[in-house]
Amino acid sequence: MYVIDHGDRMSSTAERRIRSIDDLEVVVDTDFHLTERQEDIFPYLESPFDELLNSQQGDDYGYLGRVYPAHGMVYSVTIGKADSETVRTKEDIRTGRDLVEWDKAIITPTQNLYLGAVHHDDLAAALATAYNSWLLDEIVDPDDGLYGAALVAPQKPQKAAEEVERRADEDGIAAVMIPSGSVDPLLGHESYYPLYDACERAGLPIKMHNAAGTMMTRFPSTWQAMDRALPVHATSHNMMHQTNLADMLTRGVPERFPDLTFVIQESGLGWYPYFMRRFDHDYMGAKWDAPMLEKRPSEYLKDQFYVTSQPVEGLDDPEYLTETIRHFEGEDSLMFSSDYPHFDFDNTGELLKILRSEFSSEEIQNVYGKTAERVYAFD
Amino acid sequence: MSESTRPNIDRDDLHHVIAAQDIADGERVIVEIAGREIAVFNSNGELHALSNYCTHQGGPACEGLLSGTLDVDEDDELVWACEDEIVACPWHGWEFDITDGTHTASDDYRLPTYDVHVRDGEVYVEL
Repeated sequence: MYVIDHGDRMSSTAERRIRSIDDLEVVVDTDFHLTERQEDIFPYLESPFDELLNSQQGDDYGYLGRVYPAHGMVYSVTIGKADSETVRTKEDIRTGRDLVEWDKAIITPTQNLYLGAVHHDDLAAALATAYNSWLLDEIVDPDDGLYGAALVAPQKPQKAAEEVERRADEDGIAAVMIPSGSVDPLLGHESYYPLYDACERAGLPIKMHNAAGTMMTRFPSTWQAMDRALPVHATSHNMMHQTNLADMLTRGVPERFPDLTFVIQESGLGWYPYFMRRFDHDYMGAKWDAPMLEKRPSEYLKDQFYVTSQPVEGLDDPEYLTETIRHFEGEDSLMFSSDYPHFDFDNTGELLKILRSEFSSEEIQNVYGKTAERVYAFD
Repeated sequence: MSESTRPNIDRDDLHHVIAAQDIADGERVIVEIAGREIAVFNSNGELHALSNYCTHQGGPACEGLLSGTLDVDEDDELVWACEDEIVACPWHGWEFDITDGTHTASDDYRLPTYDVHVRDGEVYVEL
């Protein structure tokens, strides 16, 4: 039997107008970072790594003592153009909370985003344990809204499962975190199943968080590890295009060759307006890293780059598809392609059915041929 | 500096900031004038006044690093340029040219600038 509730709860919810963050019932920040240092967590190392690493003596040449790999990339933080706050204590966290204004946060690491790249599997597992001990001892405080994610080392899935079991009942542990940027094998591999089983039984969600400095190092082995066609095909076209476009834009290729046109093929559509905005977003804080550019990266894409349609995703969701095409001004840059006879070819009329609901006849003519007649050297 | 030592100013749109000698080259002072935080920089012997409110997400834009930026020369080689004329907002590293308030990457974002006057060794911002 269903009971329709016309009571106060419904009406009070309906009356609550959200004008600013002050009107929200709760703000949960699901990714609020510590900037922990190796020296914060080394005192929490357990045997045998406590004895091995905490009696360090002698000269380490300035880098041998660091067990987390450094990528060496020059960021706005590296050069002082962005002044990232230090967050290594509860007090530091409260300072950040005053700015971001949350009620609860899941506290996540920074240096330990590189844990998956630590070049010693057993040490990586020990570091995860030490980090969690430090986190629980000095950071987590559920009465004050400070929750943590238990860190696990992907290098040792069985130990990771044991770590989850050890921490699952601790107050303030609200999730498990896999530093996913440098996993090898990929997270579908059966070696992780004990970890997933432990998290499922504990009722803890798994946070996956990459670090830009680790993920690229795994690309060749990542490709090798995707031992089926489906994951390769669904990701590689758009990933590769994003990587090439990012490099071409940063080095100013369209600025150096202003009369040159490029056509991006066979990668679907949704990633493209995403990439335009994501790259513009990063560029606004890193103009110094792409000094060749005279306008926003997305403007070069709109002026000198074209996209072919196949394989169109979302044909069963016309609103998604028409909005996506508008979001990169596809009426001027999208060109029909079939990909015949490949197994994922698009029949000519499929996209047309969708376009008719949103685009003018002239725009549809562009997509189906007029734009191509302007782009290609038919004469 | 007490009120009495300042020279008489005949305009009420000029707001006293500091004695000119108290802002060394490469230094800045941030003051509140009519409810606005305004930074006055002494850069390469020139005084520049800008809003301290970042047009991006409201960070304290003028409290960040004052330096130069990377550019390219006529051979497209990387060169250091605009030394002491680029301030980076400490929140996200957005760079602004303190000589005119423009963002280094986009004309859509600009920090408001104000005219600076020096009279009898005292610095005033026009507002």
